[in-house]
Amino acid sequence: MSPIIKRRGEEFTLPSKYLLFILTIVCTALIVITFNTNLFTGPLNSFAGVFVVPFQKGITSVSTSIKETTDKLSSITKLLEENEKLKEQVDELTIANTNLEQEKYELTELRTLYELDAQYEEYKKTGARIIAKDAGNWYYSFVIDKGSDDGIQVDMNVIAGGGLVGRVIDVGPDWAKVQSIIADNSSVSGMVLSSSDNLIVSGDLEKYRNGYISFSKLVDDVDRVKIGDKIVTSNISDKYLPGILIGYISTIDDDSNNLTKSGTITPAVDFEHMNEVLVLLELKNNGGK
Amino acid sequence: MNIRRVLINFIFVIVSFILQTTIFRIIDLGGITPNLLMIMTASIAFIKGDRAGLLSGFFCGLLVDIFFGTYLGFFALIYMYIGFIVGKLHIIFFSQNVAIPIVVITISDIIFGFICYVLMFLFRTKFNIGYYMMTVILPEAVYTAIIAIFYYPIILKVNNAIDEKEQRSAKKFV
Repeated sequence: MSPIIKRRGEEFTLPSKYLLFILTIVCTALIVITFNTNLFTGPLNSFAGVFVVPFQKGITSVSTSIKETTDKLSSITKLLEENEKLKEQVDELTIANTNLEQEKYELTELRTLYELDAQYEEYKKTGARIIAKDAGNWYYSFVIDKGSDDGIQVDMNVIAGGGLVGRVIDVGPDWAKVQSIIADNSSVSGMVLSSSDNLIVSGDLEKYRNGYISFSKLVDDVDRVKIGDKIVTSNISDKYLPGILIGYISTIDDDSNNLTKSGTITPAVDFEHMNEVLVLLELKNNGGK
Repeated sequence: MNIRRVLINFIFVIVSFILQTTIFRIIDLGGITPNLLMIMTASIAFIKGDRAGLLSGFFCGLLVDIFFGTYLGFFALIYMYIGFIVGKLHIIFFSQNVAIPIVVITISDIIFGFICYVLMFLFRTKFNIGYYMMTVILPEAVYTAIIAIFYYPIILKVNNAIDEKEQRSAKKFV
């Protein structure tokens, strides 16, 4: 009898420590292979498309509709209380509105200046519904219900409500995985709209719980960048199309090297209550391709 | 290891994964969802031993990798080792009692969270472990424990039913 393979009558079994050893090597090999190539994405993505995605689609659409109806019912009692509060708010808001109108004038001026409107409309878009979110609680990526059959490719940009959500990092026949800009492992090259200074926007789990994402490496010697300035994706980003709104600066701090600045940005998109997104069907042209 | 057990546990894992990424994402508490796959891995390991534990851990992790992992095999490795270690407890404890498995599941989820923190955050120089402990790892473990109270008995019952069927068919041959 060999010590490695125990024979029990006709069938033989491998002791679990050897199985563990073999699977460890398999896993390590897989990590190395996927780190360097994308050999497995094709077959595995079609496996996912057959077994998992159809159920995710069904369950998400049913459960969101159930949640919406229960939310509606429970909200009726709250509505009466809210009505009182809202009346008070109306007064406050009329005052705020006058201020905002002034800012709106400024905004339209800036928009025409940078032709943001025209740029957004130039891109071809397709709407998609979010059907599943990340299994863990660490990163923030999600799956949408459209894939390569609808013309979606890896690295296409995803927006919602006029702001940048993230980019497609993996695509199957009828689903695509989107990494959002608030995920801790993502970073975007951004630009301050008013002064065209470049900066790096990176997601941060710690800050996002307070509703912020962080930015760093802002070079601004003459202090032109102010709180409330718009941040858009920069022209030099290799994955993101230029001029998509990311958010507004909420705090600025000097770095200890006295050369660069960092701080926090309030994202333009409400990531908590996002159900549908738009995928821009255009890839950034990096030249030479 | 018969084909019926493999098939039923495979369906169980897929259903857990689908529930975890859809329904539990909608009824999350403060943005935190329970880790159903960790319940699956730890329970099967606890009920059936290290061999079944490491295999179920491997497939649970692989499923997470296919959908949400950056590198294939990363989560498979973590889940597999947790399944293997929990499976070692199979000989020591009695699986019919519910209290011990729940504690084991909770501890393995905390360990899983800690490993994730070390590999994905500490290595990128994010040292504020207290913050991540309080906002991600511990809430996830508590929520997972609550769900496990209902989930573990179901897994146990299904596995016992398969055991009984296996024994009956084994007796026929004698």
